[in-house]
Amino acid sequence: MRSMPISLIPFCSPTLRPRSRPIARASLTFVAALLAGLIQSGTSSAQSYSDAPMFADKVASGDLPPVSQRLPEHPAIADMSEAGRYGGELDMLMASAKDTRMMVVYSYARLVGYDRDFKIVADICESYDVEDGRIFTFHLRKGMRWSDGKPFDAEDFRYYWEDVANNHDLSPTGPPSVLMVDGEAPKVEFPDKYTVRYSWSKPNADFLPALAGTTPLYIYRPSHYLKKFHAKYANADELAEKVKEAEQPSWAALHNRRDNMYKNDNPKQPTLDPWMLMTKPPSDRFVFERNPFYYRVDPRGRQLPYIDRVVFDIVDSKLIPAKVGAGEVTLQARNLRFDNYTFLKDGETRGDYRVRLWTSGSGSQVALYPNLNTNDEVWRKILRDVRFRRALSLGIDRHEINQVIYYGLAHESGNTVLPQSPLFDAGYANAWAGFDIDQANRLLDEMGLDKRDDAGIRLLPDGRTADILVESAGESTEESDVLELIRDSWAQLGIRLYVKPSQREVFRNRIFAGDSVMAVWTGLDDGIPTAETAPVEFAPTSQQQLQWPKWGQYRETMGESGTAADMPVAAQLLDLLQQWRDAETDETRTAIWQQMLRIYSDQVFVIGTVNSVPQPVVAKDFLHNLPETAVYNWEPGAQFGVYKPDTFWLDESATATAATN
Amino acid sequence: MTPPTDIATTAAPEPMAREPLAHRTSTAPFDPYSVERMNAEQERYYLASQWRMMWWKFRRHRLAVISAAFLTLVYFIILISEVLSPYALHSRHVDFIYAPPQGVHLFDQGKFVGPFVYGLDYRLNMQNLKREYTENRDRVEPIRFFCLGERYEFWGLFESRLHLACAAEGGTMFLLGTDRLGRDLLSRILYGARISLTIGLIGVAVSFLLGLGLGGIAGYYGGWVDAAVSRLIEIVRSVPHVPLWLALSAIMPVNWSPILVFFGITLILGLLDWTGLARAVRSKLLALREEDFCLAAELMGARPRRIIWRHLIPSFMSHLIASATLAIPSMILGETALSFLGLGLRPPITSWGVLLNEAQNINVVALYPWLMFPVLPVILVVLAYNFLGDGLRDAADPYK
Amino acid sequence: MFTYLLRRLIVMVPTLLVISFLVFAIIQAPPGDYLSTYMAELQSQGEAVDQAKIDFLRHQYGLDRSFLEQYAVWVGNLVQGDLGYSFEYGLPVNQVVGDRLALTIVVSVATIAFIWLVSFPIGIYSAVRQYSVGDYALTFLGFLGLATPSFLLALVLLYFANVKFGISIGGLMDPSFADAPWSWAKARSVLAHLWVPVIVIGTSGTAGMIRRLRANLLDELQKQYVVTGRAKGLSPAKLLWKYPLRMALNPFIADIGGLLPEVVSGAVIVSVVLSLPTTGPMLLDALRSQDMYLAGSFLMFLALLTVVGMFLSDLALAVLDPRIRLGAAATK
Repeated sequence: MRSMPISLIPFCSPTLRPRSRPIARASLTFVAALLAGLIQSGTSSAQSYSDAPMFADKVASGDLPPVSQRLPEHPAIADMSEAGRYGGELDMLMASAKDTRMMVVYSYARLVGYDRDFKIVADICESYDVEDGRIFTFHLRKGMRWSDGKPFDAEDFRYYWEDVANNHDLSPTGPPSVLMVDGEAPKVEFPDKYTVRYSWSKPNADFLPALAGTTPLYIYRPSHYLKKFHAKYANADELAEKVKEAEQPSWAALHNRRDNMYKNDNPKQPTLDPWMLMTKPPSDRFVFERNPFYYRVDPRGRQLPYIDRVVFDIVDSKLIPAKVGAGEVTLQARNLRFDNYTFLKDGETRGDYRVRLWTSGSGSQVALYPNLNTNDEVWRKILRDVRFRRALSLGIDRHEINQVIYYGLAHESGNTVLPQSPLFDAGYANAWAGFDIDQANRLLDEMGLDKRDDAGIRLLPDGRTADILVESAGESTEESDVLELIRDSWAQLGIRLYVKPSQREVFRNRIFAGDSVMAVWTGLDDGIPTAETAPVEFAPTSQQQLQWPKWGQYRETMGESGTAADMPVAAQLLDLLQQWRDAETDETRTAIWQQMLRIYSDQVFVIGTVNSVPQPVVAKDFLHNLPETAVYNWEPGAQFGVYKPDTFWLDESATATAATN
Repeated sequence: MTPPTDIATTAAPEPMAREPLAHRTSTAPFDPYSVERMNAEQERYYLASQWRMMWWKFRRHRLAVISAAFLTLVYFIILISEVLSPYALHSRHVDFIYAPPQGVHLFDQGKFVGPFVYGLDYRLNMQNLKREYTENRDRVEPIRFFCLGERYEFWGLFESRLHLACAAEGGTMFLLGTDRLGRDLLSRILYGARISLTIGLIGVAVSFLLGLGLGGIAGYYGGWVDAAVSRLIEIVRSVPHVPLWLALSAIMPVNWSPILVFFGITLILGLLDWTGLARAVRSKLLALREEDFCLAAELMGARPRRIIWRHLIPSFMSHLIASATLAIPSMILGETALSFLGLGLRPPITSWGVLLNEAQNINVVALYPWLMFPVLPVILVVLAYNFLGDGLRDAADPYK
Repeated sequence: MFTYLLRRLIVMVPTLLVISFLVFAIIQAPPGDYLSTYMAELQSQGEAVDQAKIDFLRHQYGLDRSFLEQYAVWVGNLVQGDLGYSFEYGLPVNQVVGDRLALTIVVSVATIAFIWLVSFPIGIYSAVRQYSVGDYALTFLGFLGLATPSFLLALVLLYFANVKFGISIGGLMDPSFADAPWSWAKARSVLAHLWVPVIVIGTSGTAGMIRRLRANLLDELQKQYVVTGRAKGLSPAKLLWKYPLRMALNPFIADIGGLLPEVVSGAVIVSVVLSLPTTGPMLLDALRSQDMYLAGSFLMFLALLTVVGMFLSDLALAVLDPRIRLGAAATK
């Protein structure tokens, strides 16, 4: 909205002759206008901003300040293929009330975030500097505000660091582990109102990825809101009153209850996301409305998001494909699986939507994890022999799996990175991933497992038959189907496969305790890393890595529980990981990555089957700015997050459809 | 009673000197059944034993008789499911995934060929990734009978290859279509019948024992024993089934073999179902306890256990059998419900519950409806058991 | 009679106590607790979890205390009317349950009405015209619902309703009405969605009712007074309605106590399939995630309903049936 701060005062000189007065007036008006324009552009930024019609009334009545005062001085500019229009409602289905956190995931408003090439760029902060990989300086946007209009500045970071992370009542275990480098806490400084600096003495390569994570590390809080619940700032009596009202055991519990930026179930908590929660739980329908103080604009200066409202309907997960097929959603990918594709495609005309096929970003859709820490001594020795793992991998007919279950659209490969990653190499994908029964049998014979019983099943050194009990969490028919196919091909190797479906918790606990021999789960979480991503999944760093849970636990707990990695190869991988952390240049990092990938694939620590499985994404015809093809991944990617849902827009037929409903 | 015809109807005669009076009663020989002479049919009825009368009463309930015949047939089938199935249990056909049922024809272009199916042509529609099958009328695949087909282990005992009917060489015979791994549905239903039908029997046996035992002592002893058992029954009935199922399934150890899991599930189902039977037993015993025959046995010094088992229970065994028969279908349905909740049998075990659970998603309902076919045998068996139970219950007390 | 009722009332208390212990044991039976289940769920989705925070929360919520301690705390609170706190929703239990309870009652009442409406005429006809074709046909229909697995039937009806009538899939009303205030359009939407769950849940309940009504009526019809009545010239209709039917109504009343938990239990599976906003799916989720206060308190509520219901139906039976009141066979 162009506003002229200076009113036009036409010059009118009495000495000019009357005939040329209109011309003079016109030319002087023109000059004045020019001047006014110049002055205006001098006092404010070069761009002028506009906002959604939804706020027109509120701005007119004075409830909301005009958009130029709601945006930071230098708002983030989203780049997009086509500029959109305001308005409309986006309907989505979620499987449980806990999924209000998906709004945080999809919004993907982070201090720093991944872009579409999965490189980390500034997002909430205007810019950031990294020195030596250990000193991080973030420059915040001046004038940026929370969704209730209060300013967002370094005070919110200070509140977090001093009053939350280091407050003994609120964080009895101290700051999050990702902020501690070898036990050293960061030095946090606030040079001015809009600058934050975190520094360590050693590089912290996990810091930025954590900030950009789908489940983010928040190093700021809405301090003006939370101070009301903090013993240091709130009036003691009022606070006690609030604690009693909310039926919490202490002020710390109340504060923790109200401070749930990720869980996103508190409508009163201010947020930086494009849509803010309006519905108080419990509910079966959560409505999110546009955040008037959102910090991003489109290239034409219009404040994002385009869409006025987002609605999450909570529905049982098994019913979601049916509802989507009936055309009841605007956009959906979660809880839709590839085997729903035919059904969804058939409903396209009736439901006014189109099904796109994105690619799953997992390293392997279904992967087998031989437990190298299993308690069974005989099996442990066998599983640690690389020839056994290679033989098992060679004994899987991936082509059949691809054809039968994925119509040949998936990619037959071991558990490794995807072609979309710059680190991809066909050698890693094909390592020991062919279907070669003869070679596999030869490897097993070489190993000493050449004795067989009457049925042709190989015998272990202690006389038992080679019966592998694969444990599963029992949740996916896909897994059991793939295992059915593998069972038949492993029978040709003289190995019998039994599947034991279980409950998720029991399943995981058995693996961690070493009670299971082999497990089935999805492969790599991050199939699209870059050289800057920490290669933590390729070394024993976490108990959650089902192939070496105890070694991972050892690293996680810093030696307190678990066992140290006693296989030389695993130790080598840990060593390489440390080298990566210490690396200074991109070339070094890439080289280390390649080394680790090569070892990992060659050793077949995890037996992958197929990856790049298509993921159906259903979107109504009137939804725009959604990519045709993309990678659908949780971390990184935030499923829809990196594709910036705040830039999605709905065209006129959206409202038309809504009216007829 | 016909009046005697040989009585004189004259006026009272003058009494002759010293002569006896005329008789007023008939001199015809005495026939005790002259009034109530039974014809042969009536005689058969009155002389019939209790069991025979029950059978007659049962026969009147047509549906029950049909159901009994049907169930006998079904249980016979599961004895030889391996032979009757065209394919083995785990056999799958990669080229015939989600194939629709093939119709059996007798005449090809007007000529009688014998039972056959047409060959299936497969095409993958790349637009919506739908597998499209069309009947190829040029390929006639006659069905072979008593043929050597896929290998199987008969009841796990010995190997055989004999099948009642199998596909032509190189052909297919998917009479009820195939599932997502190309497994023949008819074969899976036949194999699954074995598990589903026996679960009901074993589960009912468990609840029978429990119900009989607890109901028996409650009914016989009365007093505080009765009160305690009644409270226990009330408690078990008050707790909703679903949470109990969840909890009991969670307690079951993970490393049990499939057979043990199977028995565990029957135990769970049986443990929840005994209350109805117990209540029936208890009320019947409470009534019968006052009967004379029971009193007589007591006076003769019989121990309570003998009285219960030898005298009281046989007198209402028929009712018990009827109640037990009515409990079996709820076991079968309970097994399907447990499979749905993810608590019961899971693949690779095949039962009707597992098949129905796999069919319970929108893809099947919309695109592959033949996979819902297992619901039909479930319905038929459950109905059959219900009608049979009704018939038995009607016949249980033939003297009514 | 008064002493009988008083005794029943007093006995209810230990019954409920035992039920509460059973319920709590059932909920705690699966290994782990709410937090470990929550943690496993997050980890398996690749979301980061801080073990230290979990331990801290465990201590805060009292989940690290012994079984008996937790039980005592819970029962103590229950008696005072405090139903506890739901971890999953982060709210007091009565807030979570409250909204759903109203809709559950609507569905249950509709289902019970459906059951009575259907089983009443079929039961009477079956008894009066025993072994006729009509008897067989109607009984077959009545039992068909019992025999069909409810979860499959529900899904098929759902799909059918959507394709043929355009009714939105699942739920008890069109999603656009979810937060709207009550209006005619909203009520119509609820009715349109209500018939699927009512039919699926109701048809499995009709069979039992038919069978009981039929059996009782058959018993009564063979009694002497019926013969007497007919001999004295009463019309068959009046004869049927005025005397035997009243006796045969026993099961309708006696079964109210048992019908309610059956409908609620049977409704769990159907509600999950149809995604109804009733207490069934909530209970199932609470049990799965071991949200022990929500599950436990709600189960106790159901148990209380059942026990009270059984007591009330016994009371109603005693009032209606003088035989019971005067002590004859029933108290033996």
